Amino acid sequence: MTKNDLIIRVGGEGGEGVISSGDFIAAACARAGLEVYTFKTFPAEIKGGYAMYQVRTSPDHIYNQGDTFDVFCAFNGEAYEMNKHLLRPGTAFVYDYPGGDFEPDAIPAGVHAYPIPMTAAAKELKSARSKNMVALGALSVLFNISEETLSEVLSKKFGKKGQEVLDANLAAFAKGKSLAQGIKKTDTWRVADPKPPKDVIVISGNDAVGMGSLIGKLDFFSAYPITPATEIAKYVATHIPKFGGTLVQAEDEIASISQVLGASYAGKRSMTATSGPGLALMSEMLGMSAMSEVPVMVVDVQRGGPSTGLPTKHEQSDLFLAIHGGHGDAPRIVLSVENVKDCVDMAVDALNLAEQYQCPVLLMSDGSLAFSTQTIPAPDPSSYKIVHRKRWDGQGEYKRYVMTDDLISPMADPGTPGGMHVATGLEHGETGAPKYTAENHELQARKRFGKIKTVVDQYAPVEVDGSGAADIGIITWGSTIGVVREAVMRLREEGIKVKGFYPKLMWPMPVAQYEAFAATCKKILVPEVNFQGQLSHFIRAETSIKPIPYAICGGLPFTPAQIVQKVKEVI
Amino acid sequence: MSTAALNKVQMPFKDYKSEVPVVWCPGCGHHGILNGLYRALADAGVDPTCLVNVSGIGCSSRTPYFVKSYKMHTLHGRAGAVATGVQLARPDLAVVVTGGDGDGFSIGGGHMPHMARKNVNLTYILYDNGIYGLTKGQYSPTSRPELKAYTTPYGGPDEPMNPCLYMLTYGATFVAQAFAGKPKICADLIKQALEHKGFSYVNIFSQCPSFNKIDTIEFYRDLVEEIPAGHDVTDIGAAMALARRPNGKAPMGLLYKEEGKPTLDEKMAGLVQKLGGHPDYDMKKVINLFRP
Repeated sequence: MTKNDLIIRVGGEGGEGVISSGDFIAAACARAGLEVYTFKTFPAEIKGGYAMYQVRTSPDHIYNQGDTFDVFCAFNGEAYEMNKHLLRPGTAFVYDYPGGDFEPDAIPAGVHAYPIPMTAAAKELKSARSKNMVALGALSVLFNISEETLSEVLSKKFGKKGQEVLDANLAAFAKGKSLAQGIKKTDTWRVADPKPPKDVIVISGNDAVGMGSLIGKLDFFSAYPITPATEIAKYVATHIPKFGGTLVQAEDEIASISQVLGASYAGKRSMTATSGPGLALMSEMLGMSAMSEVPVMVVDVQRGGPSTGLPTKHEQSDLFLAIHGGHGDAPRIVLSVENVKDCVDMAVDALNLAEQYQCPVLLMSDGSLAFSTQTIPAPDPSSYKIVHRKRWDGQGEYKRYVMTDDLISPMADPGTPGGMHVATGLEHGETGAPKYTAENHELQARKRFGKIKTVVDQYAPVEVDGSGAADIGIITWGSTIGVVREAVMRLREEGIKVKGFYPKLMWPMPVAQYEAFAATCKKILVPEVNFQGQLSHFIRAETSIKPIPYAICGGLPFTPAQIVQKVKEVI
Repeated sequence: MSTAALNKVQMPFKDYKSEVPVVWCPGCGHHGILNGLYRALADAGVDPTCLVNVSGIGCSSRTPYFVKSYKMHTLHGRAGAVATGVQLARPDLAVVVTGGDGDGFSIGGGHMPHMARKNVNLTYILYDNGIYGLTKGQYSPTSRPELKAYTTPYGGPDEPMNPCLYMLTYGATFVAQAFAGKPKICADLIKQALEHKGFSYVNIFSQCPSFNKIDTIEFYRDLVEEIPAGHDVTDIGAAMALARRPNGKAPMGLLYKEEGKPTLDEKMAGLVQKLGGHPDYDMKKVINLFRP
């Protein structure tokens, strides 16, 4: 495959500007009409610890964070130690030297090394905090990052903080450029030349979920802080009052989902966002939502578990909890996003589906998407359909849980004359009055499960990548889809017959489509980032497919190279 | 909870009874509290169509079924949190929580401080019988150590809590206490709670003749003492001193009332107003913030 992209990784100590320099590179590239896909890891601690920011940029569409870097910039010795094993012939290595806190080992053959005295230059300018600006200046010269757009981005960012701050940062930036201009470039890595700007935004997965929820006409959000989901609440808190809506921070996740259920009963489009530990606490109230048929939307930004686990790391290990978490037979709809664009679109879908089906809807994202910023087409709010719950027309006697053809009963907002009813967690008959007969319990369970069956047909559930027969089919979910898409392209270039199957509706499972796909493939591989192979489990349980699980859980997403290698092993 | 903004109706108190028969044991104090609630709703002129009665789990949490209203019978301990959501979503409604001591202060104890300190505009009526009745008699956060109950056959190891003292400490803007054997006092205090703007808490002692054999109607009758006429209900120190039962007597009446403190929904509405918020705000303005 022709490589049009460039991957720049910046590593250093949390708090010394790693994240902001990455953000500037990404914004400058996006402003120059290129696509960006960023990936970051940072420590669970407030200060210190290793932080990493990687920008992948290309004139073409980018599906994932890539295999590994082409360019590595080390702010400190720890970052160097963490990444030195990845320096390989051809990579460029920019590092803080002399004057930094480390001296690298002998540079491996073929690695293009560019020492830049970042700390020393910043000290010389009496602006120790602008070390990252020195690095940014050097990187822009060495790797063709558009100077014009980078200057615009810096002015936009620092201009708000006053002339003095802007000048100090621009001086450090200029110093970095001049230092790099004195170095002979020996590699060929360069960011693609600017293209005409597109109608795009650059946004993180968490912000995108917040944006989608507001496009989806969210009225009420109850929050409780948890990594890596809190930015969703921050986004909504900042913007929802502009639309007349409400965000409150509750005392715990149980209170959050309880408030969401209360607000939804009162007629409002309501949601919360959390991660695995919070979702575990919410599971009882998800059952109440299923039983009382009150719409509830919950975003689960997955992180490494169990227990406190790896709070800032990537994992896709909440599928069991999302689909079956909780007691009793409690149906719910579970969606899973692939990328940042999905975060916007499917937040709207999730709110709509909750309203339409009057049940819990879970929208699953993950730790790498949460903080990944990507270029996506600027959403057009008017292009999204808003679905409202079925409401009682005021005719005749109102029965909250009346049996209907589609098994969905009209709701009545409090204040509606004649609509008084109980939303109850007890098993109940048509009026909502408690009713414990065996016959009724089975009838109501059939109603609650039956009403969501049509979501498989109504909500475009899967995408099949490729056609005809294949030697291997890859089924995967979440952000791993983007990795598999690129692996599939690489494998096809090598002449391997491979197809992909990318479900975004995780539950109920579109079983017929899984089966139809598998029928065209000799083998089925299921890569996912969890120890147990959770999607593989559901595939074995719900279909006749015998998948080959490929489960990893190292706190990082897959790379396309890993998938390519695995396919070659098992084919 | 303030009912000032609501449609007032004139209905005899009996019309607040729903068609569902009351299922509590004969002699249970809850009957008296329910009657007090009917009368208070009638006296305050609350429109049942605009009333949401929320409960958790327990004998007293069955109350909503017996009250003509919109209602939610939710999970054990969660009534207050659910009711907070209802109230914030629809500040135009009257929101009343009815529940017990185990529901409110044991499993749901984490929510109590926050409803109070945030001044959520709702009324919380706590039926305090010092026992888990629905599960047939286990000791509760307000049980006395002498109580030999289902899981404490030799008496309980724990000291009982003092609900009113906690609620005062948590910042509730209305705290009152009554006894189920005095339905008129119950009705009067609940009515005042309904008319209070902000979080109002009414603790009502209620005998459980089936499972709490020591906190009898006679015990409570002897325990309570009407608050002296000279008590200043705006004096938090005096309210706390009374709530501590200095002479061994539990005060009956209005302990504390703070007026004029903004409610949570008012603060939220104030923020929306300050930002000029409205449903037709241009989403594109928010989207454009993310252009590179």
